[in-house]
Order: sequence, then structure tokens, then C-alpha cells
Amino acid sequence: MTEVSIEQLTKDYGTHRAVAGISVRIRDGEFISLLGPSGCGKTTTLKMIAGFEDVSSGAIRFDGRDVVNVPAERRDIGMVFQNYALFPHMTVAGNLAFGLEMRKVPKVQMQERIARVLDMVQLTSHADRYPRQLSGGQQQRVALARALVIEPKILLLDEPLANLDAKLREEMRVFIRDIQRRVGITTVYVTHDQAEAMTMSDRVVVMFGGRIAQCGSPSDIYEKPSSIEVAQFVGQVNLMTMVVEERLADDRVRLSGPLGEAVVPNPHALRKGERVTVALRPEAIDISVTGPGQSATVLSSHYSGSLMDYRLQLADGSRIDVQTFPRQRFAEGDSVHVHAPADRYWLLEDAE
Amino acid sequence: MSRIVFTVYCLIIYAFLLAPILVVVGASFNAGAFLTFPPQGLSFRWYGVFFNNEVFLRAIKTSLWVAAVSTVISGIIGTMAAIYFVQFAGRLKDGVRIAMMAPLLLPEVLTAIALLFFVYAIGIGTQTMFAMIVGHVLITLPFVFINVSTSLESYDPAWSMAARSLGAGAFTRFRRIMLPLIKPGVIGGCLFAFIISFDIFTISFMLKSVGTATLPIQLYDYLRTNFTPEAAAVSTLSVVLTLVVVVVTEKFLGLRIHRF
Repeated sequence: MTEVSIEQLTKDYGTHRAVAGISVRIRDGEFISLLGPSGCGKTTTLKMIAGFEDVSSGAIRFDGRDVVNVPAERRDIGMVFQNYALFPHMTVAGNLAFGLEMRKVPKVQMQERIARVLDMVQLTSHADRYPRQLSGGQQQRVALARALVIEPKILLLDEPLANLDAKLREEMRVFIRDIQRRVGITTVYVTHDQAEAMTMSDRVVVMFGGRIAQCGSPSDIYEKPSSIEVAQFVGQVNLMTMVVEERLADDRVRLSGPLGEAVVPNPHALRKGERVTVALRPEAIDISVTGPGQSATVLSSHYSGSLMDYRLQLADGSRIDVQTFPRQRFAEGDSVHVHAPADRYWLLEDAE
Repeated sequence: MSRIVFTVYCLIIYAFLLAPILVVVGASFNAGAFLTFPPQGLSFRWYGVFFNNEVFLRAIKTSLWVAAVSTVISGIIGTMAAIYFVQFAGRLKDGVRIAMMAPLLLPEVLTAIALLFFVYAIGIGTQTMFAMIVGHVLITLPFVFINVSTSLESYDPAWSMAARSLGAGAFTRFRRIMLPLIKPGVIGGCLFAFIISFDIFTISFMLKSVGTATLPIQLYDYLRTNFTPEAAAVSTLSVVLTLVVVVVTEKFLGLRIHRF
């Protein structure tokens, strides 16, 4: 269907640069998330793609054609808003018909398409209801249906799950992802929720301060974040200083640190004795009573149903976070041993 | 205890507001030759006199015409101003509001005199209805503006954006989405405009062309020399006319607020 190419896209509000020259190529049928804290420029970027915000400089191409000067109503996009923005004076069917009327679709065909999309979002029996008669989750599905029924070139979603409760949110993630796969539409999804971005996307674009901090598959972002900022945004992370022990034959280096040894790739040609910052996810650390590993003391523990979060103090006084399944539990003050396999560490690119 | 006091208080206020109207209505059914209350015998005598009085009938027609024209003009300008005010004014918001409300803050007589000088200065004068209608629009505009702004405050700009993403141009967005959703405010504002225009005295008095009079002016003229129950009959009819306008509007256009 449509490939979206964003080139050096910039948005200035007076002297404030909200989006600073970002470039992304979104492949045909790809589901891409713009992930970042509020004010990082993700929503502004989405609005520029939709045509609701003027572009200060740069290009947005749909299949090679620059749409920067095309008004929103002629860009052929489907958009789902955070508060759904369903038309309150129209029924569900009326909301869906609106976009088709604008496209002058013949009546019979219109009804067929509405019926098909309503079936897809499982709301066939609600066609004659008004938005105020629907639950939040149902309104969400109508908003999705309204965006899809016009068969747009691309689908844009602006934090569509932010107003739903936790359980529904998880259901809707799978639901939206399934529908997107089935329709095969190029999709841009804006969220500040890393779990949402991880579970739904083909690729995640992490943004900070109007720039792209990292762009990659969810597992790349989580397992090989390019900076401390990214690592911390997409999950908890332990940072520690380690010393280079030796350069290994296959262009890797062996490091030693408070938790033992680590083996990481060596892109910066590190030499023996250099100090580097490495990162380690809390769930990559094993915790046991007898070892193997370094001894540590439990400072605090938090139970969250399926997981346990511990904060531990190592022999050298440094602290680390560990996350485990609550099969074995430790209390405050317990002496334990912690160990992390050497290949679980990664070197931070911006480390010295 | 305090509820009883409050209820009594409200009843007294209503009594003061409504009693004079009831007295006028009662007096209009007077069978005698003078405007008195309680009426001396009941009859439709003075209604008969009124319906044969060319001067009053012409005045009512003039009033209705002026009110209708000014309401349409006020409705259009006031609605556009409200949309600008709520959605686009930004930092100018306070200034726009004060400017729009200014006709209410100034004494009507000052506005009237200023307009009178103005229309003669620019050579339009008061030979036509133009000056009077400008005056009526000026006075009624704030009522449309306030009512429409209030409904627009609960209008979510995302609705317009959604319509836009679905392919609707600016005019379609206004006609299909915004107007139906702010309709109660627009109609409410226009009703106010109509009723107030129908009732304006000072502006009409200053800016009327020779030989044309609106109902309030004609009534004033009449009461200077006569004191018959015909004046009460005219007043009663104008109250009824106003009520008819409200009821018909409610029936055919709907005043009820859209509930979401």
C-alpha cells in the first residue's frame, strides 16, 4: 500500500524546536511506534504526518510524493484520537458513514463497507447506538472502525489506549495489532507507554527532546539500547563501571566488575585496563541462597503478583536492582548470592 | 428552616417580576374607557380597537421586520466572532471579549447618540432603516456572542480534526459537525437577540427615519396623549408574540442541550 518517508522533519514554535530534523522510513504495511516522554515531539510529528501541523522544514513523502503542502483533508489518512473524537450527534453507523460520504461512495457500497468494518471490530449489533451509549472500549473500537472504513493510505493513532483501564488496555493492544496485520495498513502509533510500543510494533522510534534517540525492533531497543536514557525509558536498568581485562580473538572484550565477569562486543577498540560503563537488566540477574556469584544483602523487596523486585547491596557497597519470579522469596536483611551470565551485559555507546 | 426562607425569597422575586405583567394582561381585558386595575368588567373591546388601528399594526410589522433582520445579521456575525474567540484568539482572548461586550457596558443612549452622529457624518443619515438596524445589531450582538461562546467551550476541537482526517473541507466541517453541536447556543443567542431587538427603545427612537416607528416607540407616543386599555392590549399582544417565537423555535429547531 503505502511507504512513508520522513526526511529531516523539523518543527519550530517560535524559538522552541519541538522536532529537530528527524528522518525515518516506514515500510509498506509496517507498524511503527513513536515512543517517548511527554514533550519529546512524538505527537507533533504525528500531527505533521496527518497535516494538522505545518512543517517548518523537511519532507514527508507518501510513496515518494511530498505531501507537506497537501491539506489534511486530502492526505487520505485514518486517524484515531486519544479521546476518540466520535461525533456525538451521529450514531455509530453515521460516524462510519461520514468519511465515505466525503468520498462520495455509492449508498449500497457504503452499507457493505460499514457492515464489514463493524464486523471486524465486533460492533455489528451497536450500529444504531450513539457514542454516549457505549463503553470506553467500544468507543475506541468505533474510532478505529471509522478510521479504517475509508481505507486510508496510512493509519495514525495518538495514544489511543491512554483512557482505558489496565485490563482493557492489554486486550486492545492485541486487538489493534491483529486488525492492523489483517488489513496490512502502514501504521504510526504514538505512545509514552513502553510496554505498548514493545508488544505492538514492528519497529520502535524512541524520541527525546525532538530527536530520535534510537530506532529499531522492540528487542533491539530493549536488549541493546544505545544510551542510558533509552535503557532507562524502556525498562529498569543497572549501570556499573567495569574494567577491561583482555581483548578476545573474535573482536570482543572480557570485563570484570562488582558482579563478576562480562563479555561484550568491542566496537571502540578498548584496551586493557580501560574503564567502561555497562548496563544490565534487573531480570538478567539470578539470585540464590548458596551461589554461584557474589554475596549481597537484601535491602528491600516488592511483590507485584507475577514478579518480585529486590534492591540489593553488594560487598563493595554498590546497589543493584534484581527482578525474579516469586518462586523463592527473600526478606529484608537476608544474605544471598547474585550472578549474571557474562553475555547479558551490554556496553553503552555513550559511555567513556 | 433556611430552605423555607429561601423558597419565600424566590417567590417574592418572582412575584415582583411577574406581577406587573399580569396586571397589564388583566387591564387589557378592561371594558371601561380608562386603563385601570382591577378591570371594570371583562371584554375584548380594546383588542378590537387595536386590530383596527393602522398605526399600531404598522408599528408591529416594522418591529418584527427590524428584529428579524437584526437577528439574522447578529446571529451570523456573533457566531463567527465566537468561533474566532474560542478557537483562534489565543493571547487576544481578553481583548476580543471586552470589545464584543462593549455595547452592553456603554449606556444605550450614548451608543445611540454616537451612532446618530456617525451615520450623518458618513452621509447615510436616517432616511432608511439602515442606521436603526446597525444599532439593533450592535446591541444584540453580545447576546449571540456569549451564548455561542458558551456552547463552543464544550466543543472538542478534535471533532473538527477527525472530520478533517475523514476528508471534510472547512465548510462541510462547519455545517455537518460544528453547527449541529453548537446549535442550542446559536438558537438561544438568536432568540435573545430577537426579543431584545423587539424591545429596544432608545436606539430606535434616535435612529428611526421620519414616519416609521417600532412598537415601543408607537406605544410611548400613544401613552403621552391617551390612557386607554388599548395600550395594555398592545403590550399583552407583544408578550404573546414573544412567547410564540420562543415556543415555535423550541418546537422546530430544538433548544435542548445535546447530552453526551
